[in-house]
Parts: sequence; structure tokens; C-alpha cells
Amino acid sequence: MLILLFAIPAIAQISPGKLVSVHSHLEGISNCTHCHTLGDKVTNDKCLTCHAELKARIDLRKGYHSSAEVKNKNCTSCHSDHHGVTFQIVRFDREKFNHQLSGFPLTGAHAKKKCKDCHKAEFITNIKVKNKKFTYLGLTASCLPCHTDYHQKTITAPCLNCHGDNAFKPASKFSHASTKFPLLGMHQTVPCVKCHPVTVSNNVNFQKFAGVQFKECSNCHTDPHKGQFGLNCTSCHSEASFHTVKGISNFDHSKTRYALENKHLAVPCKSCHKNNVTDPVRHERCIDCHTDYHQGQLTKQGVMPDCSACHSTKGFTGAAFTIEQHNAANFILQGAHLATPCFACHKKQEKWSFRQIGIRCADCHKDIHEAYINQKFYPDNNCSACHNPYSWGDISFDHSQTRFSVTGAHTTISCRSCHFKKDSTGTEHQKFANLPANCSNCHKDNHNRQFESDGMTDCFRCHDAGLWKIINFDHNKTSFKLDGKHQNVACAKCHKTVTEQNITYVLYKIKDTKCTSCH
Amino acid sequence: MSFTHRLYILTLSIIILATFGLIFYYGYSYYRLPLEERFFYQGHNLLKPGGNWGHGFGIIGSVCMILGIVLYMARKRMRWLSRFGLLKHWLEFHIFLCTLGPVLILFHTSFKFGGLVAVSFWSMVAVFLSGVAGRFIYIQIPRTIEGRELSLNEVRDMKSNIGAVLSESYKLDEESYNLIIESTKKKVELYQKSLFLQITLTYFEDRKTIRNIKAAIKRNKLTRADRRKVVQLVNHDIKLNRKIDSLVTMQNLFKYWHVAHLPFAIVMMIIMVIHVAVTLVLGYRWIF
Repeated sequence: MLILLFAIPAIAQISPGKLVSVHSHLEGISNCTHCHTLGDKVTNDKCLTCHAELKARIDLRKGYHSSAEVKNKNCTSCHSDHHGVTFQIVRFDREKFNHQLSGFPLTGAHAKKKCKDCHKAEFITNIKVKNKKFTYLGLTASCLPCHTDYHQKTITAPCLNCHGDNAFKPASKFSHASTKFPLLGMHQTVPCVKCHPVTVSNNVNFQKFAGVQFKECSNCHTDPHKGQFGLNCTSCHSEASFHTVKGISNFDHSKTRYALENKHLAVPCKSCHKNNVTDPVRHERCIDCHTDYHQGQLTKQGVMPDCSACHSTKGFTGAAFTIEQHNAANFILQGAHLATPCFACHKKQEKWSFRQIGIRCADCHKDIHEAYINQKFYPDNNCSACHNPYSWGDISFDHSQTRFSVTGAHTTISCRSCHFKKDSTGTEHQKFANLPANCSNCHKDNHNRQFESDGMTDCFRCHDAGLWKIINFDHNKTSFKLDGKHQNVACAKCHKTVTEQNITYVLYKIKDTKCTSCH
Repeated sequence: MSFTHRLYILTLSIIILATFGLIFYYGYSYYRLPLEERFFYQGHNLLKPGGNWGHGFGIIGSVCMILGIVLYMARKRMRWLSRFGLLKHWLEFHIFLCTLGPVLILFHTSFKFGGLVAVSFWSMVAVFLSGVAGRFIYIQIPRTIEGRELSLNEVRDMKSNIGAVLSESYKLDEESYNLIIESTKKKVELYQKSLFLQITLTYFEDRKTIRNIKAAIKRNKLTRADRRKVVQLVNHDIKLNRKIDSLVTMQNLFKYWHVAHLPFAIVMMIIMVIHVAVTLVLGYRWIF
């Protein structure tokens, strides 16, 4: 038994059990007093002699071990030993641990994290603590040891001045009002990234917040006026809205690319600037603002000419469309048409019309001869068969086409002389077709029908058509030949003027040719 | 054995069993845990070896054992104490204290056996087991009522004339009578070189004999009380036969047993003292 007793010391030590692995260097009877105080069990001082980093925290009254829950407790009440190499000397309910006691209450997104998400070596700055296999020490309440400095040291203010702990974005505690550039008006609705664009710096995304230029509007805004109105944007604009322009009544529109002239000067702004005065307004063509009165009639080959081709800002009425321009079209203005007002042709109805109004005379003029003149003399109602635009009365009709060839004095008289007759009421009636060709139809028979034959009197048996001279009469072909002295006797000597039935005429048909009838 | 004495023994046994049972019942869920988990058990501070209960088990257990040893040794070695009670009763009380003590020590260890103090524990186990063996040897040696060992002749004189008793008191048929008489004779054919083998064979043979006798006397229509008396008579005689057979051997064994039992107790006590001393030096007190 004595042999057994003395052989055992190698294994049978006083130690009541193996120390946990992290304390394994303290195994052995010679090390008892490293932890145990003679007569006083295991004192906190002994523990804290080794765990100096924890002692430092306690001395500073910081951390969980300085909290009311731990204060005045023996280390061994939570961290006992001699329970085996694999004993968990630090063990607690991680889910129920009141992190507030550590001096860093877990709120927001922190509360959703696992212990190891934060308590890891890479977040520990103290090299001595960092080198420990595992520890809950070494973290600080500041953000940057754990979180990447997104601002890359450009912002010196504490993170928590701007960021809450629910999420990095958005910076819930940040107020732009506390900056040198309080956001007013529409600036309040602008996404941050518009003024603080995300760039790449040091191979990571970087959003610049510090050092952003803001004194001039042009630091952020592009000048849509390209300097037309100077650099002082606020003279017209405010933060309330870019589109709300101050002192609009004094605005000098001539500084824009569209100077207002004539009628435009009296037009209210809203008439053209329907929404905001700063909204770009198309102004290259009149129809950008105006309705095409002509409803596209003037479109040619798909292109509509601008109104200014005819009209000006002085007024819609009165076109500047020239005769030359008109003559370049299908209907050349000539003669009386040159003096004809536009509306005579182009405003036959209530509205002006420029297309498909026709170029035929009948499209504008009333054909007064219709049903009076045979169509073969002016096919398709073409007035120009007789008339021209220079003078309506200047007729150039080839009368020889008819059965009545105009010769002699007939060529000098107007058509109306033969073709228009007044009735008893004074109303004029035209007659072309079936107009009798006999002279008496037009001329008065001064001879009181003395030469009538078969109901007709052929004047040309005596008279010529030109001077109405008696060139065709041969007295010798009558029943009374003129011979002798009779050849030199004036006609009136024999042919006396007589009045018969209130008709006075020269009697040429002398029935009694006896000498005594005259002599 | 008187009824009072039986009650006394029963009480002591119940105390031991109840102590074991209650502590085991209460601490089972703690003791079954791996060592690494025990610290986090709700009752650790009570049941751990240094806890209020665990430490108490150690102290009370140690006191029990010390008292058990010291009182019994004193009774045996101090003549003036011989007038206080029967040695047999002192032995029984010694067994009680030295059984209750190890039970409490067992729970004091919380079934964690390591370090120097483990030698003390295993020594205690050895003392306890040797005590059990000693107790077995002890009862194999017939003694006077004061506890003095009887000589072989004295033992042989103890054998009753079972034939006379049977013929006078009970009317048995001849077959049953002969069977009983034959059964109570020494069975020389079972003698073996190995005492252990001999004891074993004899034990089983005796059990068989008892069964046969029970069957035989049943046929004789004896009253229940008579049947029990006849079996007791036969049992006593058979046991006496066994004791006579092993008396010398047991007497020799008992001499050697003392050599083993005592040193283990001494080793146990020495290391226990060291253990207690270290505990006190390191500042661990109980409730004081």
C-alpha cells in the first residue's frame, strides 16, 4: 500500500480535476497558488492579475463586468474550473444576454446579429486581445473598427450623428438643415445621389458628401440657357421650383431664342407656356403654337410650309403670298385675276380654301351662256374659248364656225349687239343658239318690208356688210331700167318718202312706172 | 435475535438505504451529467463536492467512518469498555457507520474520481469491500453470545439430536424421517480441494435438500407452524455442518483479513487528512 501511495503522485494530484484548455498551462501542484489564495479560495484579484485587459475595463468601470449584474461577484461564480479540458469556462445564454449591461445596447440591426458577427478578431484593434483564441473583449463602441468607412475619412463627424442603427442607408438621423446648404423647396425632393453621385474611389463605391461645391447653382445644375441670362440663376428662379420664374412681367423675351414681336407681344405667357414658363417651347414653326387654320391644305409632298411663308406676326389677315408665288402654282394669275382679291376665289364658303378649288373658269365664274351656247363652241365650259382674263368683253370667237360668218361692219360691233336683246321690260336676254341669221332679226327694215320675199328680206341683195353701201343693187335688173337722163337723177327724185300707217319710209317699189307718175 | 435487535438492525439498514436512495433520487440528474456540464446545473452549488450538501456529505461521511472505526477499535482494545454492550452489537454499529460513511463520501465525490483524494476513495472502497468479506467470514465462525470464537469441539456440541426431536415432537412417516436424518449428516463426497468450490457445491446441495425435505414433510400433513419448525431445525443443522467444515479455514482467513482491512483504512485516513488539510489551506470551509 505504501508503494501504491508513493507511486501515485504522478497521476494522483491534489487537483480536483483537469483545468480547462486555456488554463492548461496552470496545471500542476506548483501552480495552485496562481489562482488560489491560501485560506481564501480563489480571489478575483488572482484572476484579474492574469486577465489584465479585463481588469483595465473594470477599473474604468466599463463593460459587462462592471455592470450591476456582475459587480461584487466572484469570478468563479460564473467561470469555475477543474471541470475538464473541454469545459466551457465562458458560457451564457447568448440569446437572452442583456447586451446593454456591456455598455453597448444592441438596438436596430445590431440586435439581429449573432455574437460572432461582431466578436471576431478582425474587429479588435488591441493586438494583445486580438491574438486571443476567442474573446468578447476588445470591441469598442465606435463604429469604424467593425464597419467599413464608406466615406473614406472624408467625414470627421461621428457616424451616429447621421446614421441610425437600423440601417446604414438611409442616414436616418441626418438633417440637411444642419449643413451649410439647407434643402429648400424642390431641393428637398431631389434624391441624394443627384448631388452626391456615387463614384469609385480606391476600387470601391464612394459617395462624396464632404466638400461638395454648392455656392453657385451651376455647381450642380446645367444652365439650360447657356449663359443667355447671366450666371445669377436666382434672379429668375427659386428653390420652390425651377419652373416658377420670379418677375415674369419684366422678363426680356428677346434674350431667348424667340423674340416676341407685334401681335406676340400682347399674348399672355400661358398661351404658349402651357405648363411652366421654363419648359422648353417649340417655336421653330408657327404651328408649334398655332392651329393650322388651313387644316393641312397647304401641305405639299408631305411638307407643310410654315405659316410665315404667307403670314406675319402683324396679323393673320393679309397674306404675304405673292403673285409670283401664286404663279408658280397651277393657276397663273393674269389679267383681271391679278386684281381679284384672294377671297374671291379662295373663300367661296365660310372658310378659306386653297386646295381643289379648281382652275377652270366655271369653278369660280358662273357660266351665263350655259344652255345658250352649244358646248361644241366652248367644250367643257371653257370660257377661254371666247374670253380671256384681261378683258371679259374682248371676245376672240371664230364666228365662222357658226353658220353666220361675221364680216364687214359686223366685225366691229360687240357680240352683245346681236346676242343680247332687251325685252319690253328692259331685261336683257341672250341668244346664241338658233339665233336667226336674217338681217331683220337684228336690223330694222327701213324699207317697210318692200323687198321682202317669202317673208324674208335679204339686205345683201343691195347693201354690203361693211359700209352698208348699196353696192349690190343694179337698177337695170329691175323692171325699170335707168337709162338716159334717168341715170343721173337723184334717187329721191323718184323714190319719195311716204308715210303710211304712221310709218315713214322711202318708197322704192313703185308700182306705177309710167312717166306720168313722176313727170 | 430478539425482536428489538432486529428492529434496531432494520432501522440502521433503512437509514443507510434511505440516505442512499434520497440523495441518489435528488441528485441523479446532476450526477449523470458529464463533468463539463455539471457546473451549469441548477443544483451544482449544492451537490458539488464543495457545495453545501456535497461538502456536508464529505464531512458527515468522514465523521461517521472515523467514529465507526474509533469506537469499534476502542471497544475491542480497551478492556474497561467491554462492559458496554455486546461486541457483536458494536460491530453492527461499526458496520452501520462505516457503510453510511462511504455512502455519503460517494455522494461527496459526486462520482468524480480523480486526483490524490481518489486514492483515499478507492482505499475506502477497499476497506468497505473487505469489511463485507470480513463480515461473511465473521459469521462463518460460531461465537459465544459475547462474541468469543468457539472451538471446533464447542461447535460440534452445538449440534442437536435431531432424530430424537423429530420422533418425539412430530409424527413423520419413516421415509421422511430417514430423509431428514440423512440430509443432516455431513456430506463428505462434496469435499473439494478448493474451499470456494466446496462452499458453492455444498450451498446448492443444501438448497436442494431443503426443497426435498419441504416436500416430504408436506405429505405428513403437519401444521404450518410445525413444518416451519422442522425446516428451521434442519436449516440450523445443515448450517452448522457447513461451519464445522470451514471453521479452521475461516479462522485462518479471518487472521489474514485483519492484515488487509486495517492498512486500507489507514491509507484512506491519511489521504483523507491530506485532502481535508489542503481544502482548509485553500480556504474552503463548510457552513462554519
